[in-house]
Amino acid sequence: MRILVVEDDTNLNRQIKDALTEGGYAVDVAFDGEEGHFLGDTEPYDAVVLDIGLPQMDGLSVLEEWRRAGKTMPVLLLTARDRWSDKVQGIDAGADDYVAKPFHMEELLARLRALVRRAAGHASNEITAGPVRLDVKAGKVTVDGQAIKLTSHELRLLSYLMHHKGKVVSRTELTEHLYDQDFDRDSNTIEVFVGRLRKKLPEEVIHTVRGLGYQILED
Amino acid sequence: MRKGSIAFSLFWLSAGWLILALAGTAFLLTDLYSRALDTNLTNQLKFDIDTLSSAILDSTDPSFGDVSVNDPRFTRASTGWYWIIRNEFGDVLATSRSAVGSLPPALTGNFDADNYRTGILGDEAGNRIRAIERATTSNGRPLRITVTGNLDDSLALVGQFRGQTLTVLSAVGIALAIMSGIVARLALRPIDRLGKAIERVREGESESITGSYPREIAPLAEEVNELLRSNTQILERARNQVGNLAHGLKTPLAVLRNEAAAARDNPLSRVVASESEKMTQLVTTYLDRARIAARSTVVGKKADATMVMLRLVRVMQKLNQNVTIAFKRPDASLPWFRGDEGDLEEMAGNLLDNACKWSKGQIAVTMGAERTESAQMLVIRVEDDGPGLTEEEAQKALRRGVRLDEKTPGSGLGLDIVKELVDVYGGSLQLKRSVLGGLLCELRLPAAKVGLVRN
Repeated sequence: MRILVVEDDTNLNRQIKDALTEGGYAVDVAFDGEEGHFLGDTEPYDAVVLDIGLPQMDGLSVLEEWRRAGKTMPVLLLTARDRWSDKVQGIDAGADDYVAKPFHMEELLARLRALVRRAAGHASNEITAGPVRLDVKAGKVTVDGQAIKLTSHELRLLSYLMHHKGKVVSRTELTEHLYDQDFDRDSNTIEVFVGRLRKKLPEEVIHTVRGLGYQILED
Repeated sequence: MRKGSIAFSLFWLSAGWLILALAGTAFLLTDLYSRALDTNLTNQLKFDIDTLSSAILDSTDPSFGDVSVNDPRFTRASTGWYWIIRNEFGDVLATSRSAVGSLPPALTGNFDADNYRTGILGDEAGNRIRAIERATTSNGRPLRITVTGNLDDSLALVGQFRGQTLTVLSAVGIALAIMSGIVARLALRPIDRLGKAIERVREGESESITGSYPREIAPLAEEVNELLRSNTQILERARNQVGNLAHGLKTPLAVLRNEAAAARDNPLSRVVASESEKMTQLVTTYLDRARIAARSTVVGKKADATMVMLRLVRVMQKLNQNVTIAFKRPDASLPWFRGDEGDLEEMAGNLLDNACKWSKGQIAVTMGAERTESAQMLVIRVEDDGPGLTEEEAQKALRRGVRLDEKTPGSGLGLDIVKELVDVYGGSLQLKRSVLGGLLCELRLPAAKVGLVRN
């Protein structure tokens, strides 16, 4: 899961980035509206954390531009203006949720997880595929009730595939969604991670669709 | 017309002036009339003197026994109409028959250039008489011919005239007073209209004073509009500043809070965490209070409650996809909310937010109008199927007098701002048990007068 954080306060931006990275997301950051708009417009993000008060181009305009251009990724608005009229305005501009500053990082993470989950069409915090069970909130994976240990990269990979259960996910898509923009994108690394992940999971959980990519089948 | 009113002063000013003017007129008219009568009498008496003079010239009797004036008043006794012929020493040579027994005294004083002298005398019968005397000579005999006329007749006429004049002028005065009363009312009618227009602004029916006014009070209407405009501007600015302050403070607070939370074991972090928590609460509390203080003077605002609720339901439905919010749109006749649209959003939004927080999946929103003895109220009901509140909890949540500044914000149901606003608008909030099983919040707010054109 790849997230874009657009926040002009450098400290807050860093804190959110750190918290999200720790939560198992790949994170890109932008510090002003124009940069944020450009990234969101050109890169495929699974969700965006967007501050409303941004230099160069305010958050609501960025959001409206994205929506006009047909971008549908979930957007979590971040703002100090917590009047209902601001809320209504934000939602009407195309936001999916709203967190008022100052917030607890846990709340931001929970809201973001819910957005990503909802966007993928999952109702609960747990996604299962056969014997494999992913607790999105805790970032834990169990097979037949037994906890297994995954590295953060492996967890990201499994999480993305499970969120898009039933869909064939290409290697390019995986690269785009698992790594931030500074990552050296060599699609071979995906194959290495898929290989490692398969060893830790029961056979036949992750299918290879030749020439297209990978797939976790619907139950 | 009460004392202290313009109409009252206008009326009494014009009425007082009228009474003076009419009394003066009556006096003047009577005076002119009595002068005219006197002149008339004098002229007649002079004519009688002429008549007597020529009769004396024609007389053959040295005691003037054949001299007379052809007027019956000179023949009847004590009429006040007399003629007397005296010699230059004042000895009576002859009198009219009427003067027998009531001879008036002789005139004194000098003769004028025409050899006349006049005076007012009293005869023995008690009549006041006007007397005119001419010094003349007849066949070489110096004579003084005196003719008198009864003044009381004239005075009676004058009295009669005065009575009639007063009657007529009083009638005119009353008519004029009524007129001036009506005029005062008419003249003040635009002020009444202006008052009503200002009332409409206060009632939230219009945002400014409309309509055309006479030149004298048009500036007043314009000033009131200007005041309303600047009031709105000041409020707007205050709100903007409050918003800026919020944005300015909340981001650094978020940073402090997160930084401290990331290193909980560090004593410094613990201090920073607890202090930034306090600062956050203070910011929230005082921002809310500033908003309410800025808004309590808002006049002339109204909001389409139906549109606000539609918007809020749409937003809350999007934010809370695990619950279903049933909202039955009321018909268009539902009155508007008399107040600020943002405030209504704040009240209804917080109630909806609570409902979403506690609901297990069902929320219902209904709207209606109620007429109390004093005003029309708009009713908004938000109910959920959550755990609800016990009687005791509900009372505690609604306890009066618990204000934002006495209470830790951010705790409980978040009803503080709702209560505060409900108080500002003189509405009410009731918490009941919903048929859905959870809490029913009933919000009653003042309605703007019905019959508005939606704009």
